[in-house]
Amino acid sequence: MFFQQIVTWYHSLSPDVLTKAVRVAVTVVLGLFLVRVMAVVTQRYIMRRSTAQRQMVARKAISYAGFFLVLVATLGELGVKLTALLGAAGIVGIAVGFASQTSVSNIISGLFLISEKPFSVGDVIRIGTTTGIIQSIDLLSIKIRTFDNLFVRIPNEKILTSEVTNITRFPIRRIDIVFQVDYGQDLAKVRSVLAGVARENPWSLDEPEPIIMFNEFKESGIEMLLGLWFAKSDFTDLKNSIMQDIFSRFAREGIRFAHPNRLVTVVEGTDITS
Amino acid sequence: MQKTGIGVWDPVEIPQKQCAAWRFPRRSIWVERIESEWHVLTMPERRKSADARSMFVRRNQKPESSEWKHYLQRESGGVQPSPVLPDRPMVIRPDRALTILPSQSTVFYLELPVWFRLSTMGARSARIFEEPLSTLTRTWFGDPVNGELCWGLATRLHHSIDSVEPSSWVAVCPILIENDSDTDLDFEKICVHVENLSIFRGPRRLWANSLNVIFRGPDQASQIEIVRQPPGLEEDLVLVSAAREPSAGWNIRKTFGMLKHFTDF
Repeated sequence: MFFQQIVTWYHSLSPDVLTKAVRVAVTVVLGLFLVRVMAVVTQRYIMRRSTAQRQMVARKAISYAGFFLVLVATLGELGVKLTALLGAAGIVGIAVGFASQTSVSNIISGLFLISEKPFSVGDVIRIGTTTGIIQSIDLLSIKIRTFDNLFVRIPNEKILTSEVTNITRFPIRRIDIVFQVDYGQDLAKVRSVLAGVARENPWSLDEPEPIIMFNEFKESGIEMLLGLWFAKSDFTDLKNSIMQDIFSRFAREGIRFAHPNRLVTVVEGTDITS
Repeated sequence: MQKTGIGVWDPVEIPQKQCAAWRFPRRSIWVERIESEWHVLTMPERRKSADARSMFVRRNQKPESSEWKHYLQRESGGVQPSPVLPDRPMVIRPDRALTILPSQSTVFYLELPVWFRLSTMGARSARIFEEPLSTLTRTWFGDPVNGELCWGLATRLHHSIDSVEPSSWVAVCPILIENDSDTDLDFEKICVHVENLSIFRGPRRLWANSLNVIFRGPDQASQIEIVRQPPGLEEDLVLVSAAREPSAGWNIRKTFGMLKHFTDF
């Protein structure tokens, strides 16, 4: 019954309508196919040597421009007058513009970010309390994968107005380990032990030299800083091994970490209740 | 198989279920063959003897360890141990600071520690594994943005080949340094791109290509020539390992390190 209705409807169509339908279908299918091919060819071959970020921007620019052209061509095939449509679109655009100020702000911020290039896809960044690897930089937002595998979307406007730390921008970094040693320690020995720990650690660079500093006289002990340089990919290995090395070497050498303590002196003959 | 000295680099046939060991002063390498798998273990050594030796060991004498690595390689036949140079540039820090005056030149012999590579010798020679034979430190050469990660080595500068002990785990690299500038060359460290160098085997020593380095001034990169021919200081030198990254003719690179880039806290 339903099938017969379709057959009847099909026979009622004029040849012009059929031709138009075929042309529209060909325009859409071929247009989308060409856009896809151009995007892939640009990304894989033409911009093969570019960074992942540039490849992504080029692919998206080609895709958006291509989709717009396919839409215009399809509407043209359907006989829609584009001048009237564009006029109407202008009026609608003003209304939509007022309603989507945040989005526009994000888009403009995204353009600034793309031109300023404070980071690129694959970098590890920290924004506020979020640290992760950049998955994509889009017109409205950037997408981050955190180290505990969470997907975080941050609007571009927020990035532009926040402090962003690019952790992997430079090939080497320094890790600062701050701790306190007891006041009764031989500081020359502490320094020598720390220098040995740094020298023997396989992940620590010997040039730039490790930094050993006595920071401050604190309430319970002397605060020290051990700064070690490392290749950016070795962060976890270095951090785990150096903490373990310091702890075991201090234990072996009899060096004590500082613990909070209070010295209470009671003067004889003083009535503390009065 | 019982080899000592430079003979440890001879090819060897390891039968099925047999274990072979190469023992160097700072590292020993144990290799066992089971079916198409090669089981490999490297262990640190603290031997006083500077000599190296290779031998078969009984399976019950092989070290018990959870660190054995297993490599699948179906190629049958013997295996070829070869000395190869490290995979990154090496920053050599001489045991003493030296100043080369303008228009002066001098020749040094650098001792470059080699890595151990084991390859099959069948129709298709294939690498099984590579292991360092000594512990190298990691170091950075250049400024923190544009420098490069290197292996660091503190070593003695030899002015004469006679003072270099013959060794099977160190390749000798003759290096000619010419100060072609108006300033003194305060030689604190030198970056040698060992990945561009080949290794030659002689009757007593291993050799790397000779280098000619021309220093143009502290603000300019040095000109470096890798001499293609084997060093002429020992006869019957045979190429045993080609350079990881062959380099043609003259190179221009920052080679000498004199300025501290990291004095800022």
